[in-house]
Amino acid sequence: MIRGIFTKFLTIVWGLIAITVTKQTFAQTSNNSGTVTTVVKTHSSDGIFNSTASYTFQVDNSYNNTETGKISYLVTTETGKKVKADSISVKIDAHDVESYDFDIPSLKPGFYKINFMINVSDYDDTTRKAFGIKPGEITSQYGKPADFESFWHNAMLELAQVKPQYKVTEMPDSSKDGRRVFLVEMKSLDNMTIRGWLTEPIDKNKNKKFAVLLGLPGYQVTLGPMFGTDPDIAIFTLNIRGSGYSRDEINVRRENYIILNIEDKNKYVLRGAIMDCVRAVDFIYSRPELRHDNIIATGGSLGGFLAVALSSVDKRINFCSAANPILSDIRNLVHEVDWPFIDIRKYVSTRPGLTMDKVLNNMDYFDAKNFATDLECPTLVGMGLVDNIAPPNNVYTLYNGIRARKHIIIFRDLAHEIGSWYNVYEGRWMRDQFALF
Amino acid sequence: MSLLKTFSRILITTLVLFITIHNSTYADGGFPVRPGRLLISPSVSYFFANTEWDSLGVKRPFPNNGKFSSIGVTLYSEYGISKRWAFVATLPYVINNYTQSISPTSTITNGLTDLETGIRYYLANINFIYYFSIQGTAITPLYTNNASLGYGEEGAELKLAVSGTGHLFGASSYFNVSDGVRQYFGTNGPWQNRYSATYGLSLDKKFMNQISASLSGIYSQSNYKGFVPSMALSNKDFSFLQASLGYGHSFTREFSVFATGGQFLTGRNTGVGTTFSFAFIYRLDYR
Repeated sequence: MIRGIFTKFLTIVWGLIAITVTKQTFAQTSNNSGTVTTVVKTHSSDGIFNSTASYTFQVDNSYNNTETGKISYLVTTETGKKVKADSISVKIDAHDVESYDFDIPSLKPGFYKINFMINVSDYDDTTRKAFGIKPGEITSQYGKPADFESFWHNAMLELAQVKPQYKVTEMPDSSKDGRRVFLVEMKSLDNMTIRGWLTEPIDKNKNKKFAVLLGLPGYQVTLGPMFGTDPDIAIFTLNIRGSGYSRDEINVRRENYIILNIEDKNKYVLRGAIMDCVRAVDFIYSRPELRHDNIIATGGSLGGFLAVALSSVDKRINFCSAANPILSDIRNLVHEVDWPFIDIRKYVSTRPGLTMDKVLNNMDYFDAKNFATDLECPTLVGMGLVDNIAPPNNVYTLYNGIRARKHIIIFRDLAHEIGSWYNVYEGRWMRDQFALF
Repeated sequence: MSLLKTFSRILITTLVLFITIHNSTYADGGFPVRPGRLLISPSVSYFFANTEWDSLGVKRPFPNNGKFSSIGVTLYSEYGISKRWAFVATLPYVINNYTQSISPTSTITNGLTDLETGIRYYLANINFIYYFSIQGTAITPLYTNNASLGYGEEGAELKLAVSGTGHLFGASSYFNVSDGVRQYFGTNGPWQNRYSATYGLSLDKKFMNQISASLSGIYSQSNYKGFVPSMALSNKDFSFLQASLGYGHSFTREFSVFATGGQFLTGRNTGVGTTFSFAFIYRLDYR
């Protein structure tokens, strides 16, 4: 009995080996080594179109035989809802290159995802892109709370009641790039201790005043002292409450930070964090060697959000730079991104009496687009067209709400990041804005 | 958690602090001047010619084996009044020497020539790369009745300039292009078109060393067509095109030197000039 089973097992194994060898032999004898490579060209450098999105799909067939099949596309909204789809039959001769143009007309203003699929004899692949149609017309159907400004005015008044108690400690061992380094400690809203790092160029002119770059942190990012050889700029990097060097009173797991006290807009962690940024500006104003009329607030992701919020509530900021700002148009964001709503929903489900509606009502006071309409300083915004944390629709809603001088730089093929051109442009604009020619 | 990891990579996006090459370029371009910055540039120049282009542009030696040389000492200065406005001034002093084989064998004149004072306005920029400025300049002669030093006439100039930065073969570069129309208010003018184009290249990332190439010239028109080699500064109807090469070195952010050599390429009613100059540049910030 056992011997019979073993014999059958051996037969199956040998059979499989034989099939494999035969397949390889056929492949070798057919002499069809090669591949298909594809390139999708977007007919717009930033992926923005006025009405009709336009692409060219190029196929390079290096096989020895003709490839036949189809190329298709699927356009969806950012939430994944199907908008358009089409396909064409293709035949690419051996060792040939073919190009196929696709025009996608009649789309409403907004941002879309587009997948190009190729399915031919020996090759299947999908290329993912995104594009925008007339993004200047994108608006949100959700307004801001009537008491939005007074809410933040009250927060500022509350902060003003807290004595800053600045403690500035020079760290000579950390000095480099011709910069002095200072650890700055101060009290912020709720009497919490926050810390930041100030680096200043060493200059023979004792009366020299420096423009200030206020660097704001991404989510749960620790910011140390920042250096650089620019002789005109002092850099102040801030660790907001619960981040980096400012964890004396708040020290939570990183996924719990965004939901800390979210059930109460007056106690929500981001209210304090934004006031921490205001306190940083108070500190800058306390320093005679820093120019009080040349302050740029800058950051990416949560730092971008903080830059917009700070520049909106505190008019002492002279230039705002926000890359990939999160938490914009939050009520629409709920359906578009996983984070932070996956954590918020989980939290809501564990809190009796707390509903998502109530959370969203509170979050309206922390919506980046609601801050944007109050911006008065020149503002630079950067975004990635395939960003799944700060989606283009939401970032553009923020951008369209800005009434001050503004500029947006779109990176067609980037996600939650920006390219080096953003930094270059920001540096040039900042220098022009502050007349640092 | 993967999402958290994804966006935690985003720190501060913008800590690429930016100093452009135009902070260390030579003066008098289209770039705006920093408010509160005083730029002082004393320079020494040498001009020599022993041949001329006549009114038809035909090249020939100066008569009687003549040679004209001129040493100039010039003080150029500009001051940033505000983001848009800057004050500029040029105070030149020359020592001219004309020698020939007949009497008088040597004629030497010296003195202050035409003081130029002007206001520059920063018009606009394109992407903070290309800068446009316009400048109005008043010309005031600091001498009387000395044709060896100039026309002895007041004048005015309106100049448009564009400057920009870029890269060439990985090195930082800049350019200045300017064109000014000048009118002297005396008998027979002249009116002049003064143009200049410079391309400069930094030889290192800290902009300590740079080289530049320039084409510049003057087209001067007047009813007075005379040309006297010994009084080069008072010729009114002439033109020339000059090519120059320069090298600049910055010892500090505040102090640079520039050496330039040039040669007249074509001309009419003018000497075939060869020029050398050496300039010191001091930048002092008062803001």
